[in-house]
Amino acid sequence: KEREKKLQIYVAARDACFTKRKDGVFDDEALQLTQQLLSSNPDFATLWNYRREILLHLETVRNQDEVQKIYEAELSFLESCLKVNPKSYGSWHHRGWVSARLPRPDWARELSLCDRCLSLDDRNFHCWDYRRMVVKMSGVPVKQELDFTDRLIGSNFSNYSSWHYRSTLLPLLHPQAPDTPSQCGNPPPSASPQTHFHRVCEEQLLKEYELVQNAFFTDPNDQSAWFYYRWLLGRAERDEMISCVYVSREEERVAVAFSRPVNAQSVGVEWQSVHPHFKNSPVWICSLPPGTISDVANEHNLTVHWTEKHSHRDCALYTGRSESWCRDTATDLELFRSELSVEKTSVLQSELQSVRQLQELEPLNKWCLLTIILLMRALDPLGYEKETLAHFQTLKDVDSMRSAYYSDLCSKFMIENTILKMEYAEVRVFSISDRKLTTLCHLDQLLLVTHINLSSNQLQQLPPQFAMLQCLEVRIGTLFFLLFFINLNSEISTLADLQPLASCPKLKRLDLRGNPITQTTNAEAELAGLLPSVTDLLL
Amino acid sequence: MSAQLKDVIIKPDAPSSLLLDKHADYIAAYGSKKDDYVSKSVSSSVLVQGKMDTINVDKAVEFVLSCMNFDGGFGCRPGSESHAGQIYCCTGFLSLTGQLHQLNADLLGWWLCERQLPSGGLNGRPEKLPDVCYSWWVLASLKIIGRIHWIDKAKLRRFILACQDEETGGFADRPGDMVDPFHTLFGVAGLSLLGDEQIKAVNPVLCMPEDVLQRIGLQPDLLS
Repeated sequence: KEREKKLQIYVAARDACFTKRKDGVFDDEALQLTQQLLSSNPDFATLWNYRREILLHLETVRNQDEVQKIYEAELSFLESCLKVNPKSYGSWHHRGWVSARLPRPDWARELSLCDRCLSLDDRNFHCWDYRRMVVKMSGVPVKQELDFTDRLIGSNFSNYSSWHYRSTLLPLLHPQAPDTPSQCGNPPPSASPQTHFHRVCEEQLLKEYELVQNAFFTDPNDQSAWFYYRWLLGRAERDEMISCVYVSREEERVAVAFSRPVNAQSVGVEWQSVHPHFKNSPVWICSLPPGTISDVANEHNLTVHWTEKHSHRDCALYTGRSESWCRDTATDLELFRSELSVEKTSVLQSELQSVRQLQELEPLNKWCLLTIILLMRALDPLGYEKETLAHFQTLKDVDSMRSAYYSDLCSKFMIENTILKMEYAEVRVFSISDRKLTTLCHLDQLLLVTHINLSSNQLQQLPPQFAMLQCLEVRIGTLFFLLFFINLNSEISTLADLQPLASCPKLKRLDLRGNPITQTTNAEAELAGLLPSVTDLLL
Repeated sequence: MSAQLKDVIIKPDAPSSLLLDKHADYIAAYGSKKDDYVSKSVSSSVLVQGKMDTINVDKAVEFVLSCMNFDGGFGCRPGSESHAGQIYCCTGFLSLTGQLHQLNADLLGWWLCERQLPSGGLNGRPEKLPDVCYSWWVLASLKIIGRIHWIDKAKLRRFILACQDEETGGFADRPGDMVDPFHTLFGVAGLSLLGDEQIKAVNPVLCMPEDVLQRIGLQPDLLS
């Protein structure tokens, strides 16, 4: 009965507001009614909108001192709203709007409100976002905010928000200049919000490792610190550039690999992406007009111009040669590991030792295990390969819910190691068998590969990106890449799983022994239909 | 002194099978009650799809990417902490604008699969309780970036089913709480993404049945 009565009052007030608004009325009663309703329901966005209309109207008919008083009263009202519900989008948004319109804002008071609110709940993202606005509007120094995060991290356990804020502040205060990895104190990068993409200079980075280590040693189950540490161990995004140019005289084609997926469609010379569906791909193919480079007696110098980035790459095709290429190797670029100075190596080695000790005390802590793996990858991917595999196995036992993630991550690391070994050996054979591979990646690094051995793994299908090992020129129907031989012993079970191979007319030999597909009736005939060029089919 | 892991316990007598008929009755009856607030949700992304040329897509992409964080996730505004709801919006947006390659799928996928708690449920960000609506926000995001296999599907299914109310039908945010249409939608949609054959396939980008999208020829990008 009492509920019914309350509801009636509420509905009456609400209807009165809507009527007033429709009639363009902006009086005191409207302020009172909206205040009444918003006190009990601060998520009623329409009413905050109406309230702002009223306030804007008042700005035009009152002097500045009166407006100051009105808005200060508004801030007071909002504070009481926030006490009741500190997580209302409506209340926080309105407070931001009011603070920005206040003739004489008191930013110190606003900052202090944030301090109090965060001391009650330091994961309240509404408050953090409001704080960031206050900081921006009032020019609070980055260093001061960094110190604030220090205090919060030192006293609280649930502090993901603080570490996150740190990740945005550090690159502003201690940026790593793009061309000089070890220098500190350069002018801050331009106001790009993606500041985390700007790395932290080494001197501060090493100090930060220590800070984080203290956190996870104090509480090894504090996941925030481990997440943040992973970010510290990471590296900058690669610059966009041409990483490989390949020319085939026989196919009269050029293939270009970029460091990141790009959209290279253009007018004039026609470029094709190797990915069947995506407009953005790291590998692009261009067919040259017939006869351009076909005469083996001629030498040709090709230049690929990337006009958008004002860069280019040359590739010389010599007399008597049927192919040529020009490439940045993964080893040159230290693609799969950190840039390591002597100091950083020393610090990371001691970190590795410490985390190993922690792992012995906490054998069921998956964060330790994963971090040990990441440290080993940063220091010496090939040297620690055996240990890495062993740790992944333990990780899958300790954190079985995420075993598929660990399998894929391990696969990625093993592929990276295989690429490194292949480059050191200077061969074009990519062989990775019996490594429980569950996924294929870095295929853009395999542009030049002629032979692939993926036997005794756990691959269930070939991804469309497999086309990066060959030219998938569906329209012209010709092959690009010299993919002669594939050995696949995994879990290929249907014809559809082998679809990407249909675009390899040069494929002569296919070894499918050990795959479930060999058990299907009529497999041989169906495969012959899908892959007519294969003369040597092992089932 | 150490952080206690926030999670729920699923009682042995919690619902363990899908009560589809009960949910149908719940939704059908919902609008007829006098004091319920009936909400209509508009799929803004469909609206955008039809009028993509009226917005500056490049600027919009630039803004969304400026909200990307150190952990590969997205927050409300540039500088905001990563949150599964925002991540869902941003990955969906990047799919609709053909910009999924701008994501760090491995890093984001890891952050997302770490949302799964021992109870099998998913939370929205670190150290928060699981909630059935995250079975949609997190799961759909994982599906869009091609890493849905990184969570334990059986355990998640068990959690979602435990959120059902056997008497009234419908799903609650967590086992034992009161049901509402919002959580019912996302519980059912989440189960669909997990492969429940009793429910139609749902598109992860637009949260609509796949057959509807097929009819109008919409196939947003997904990473494999």
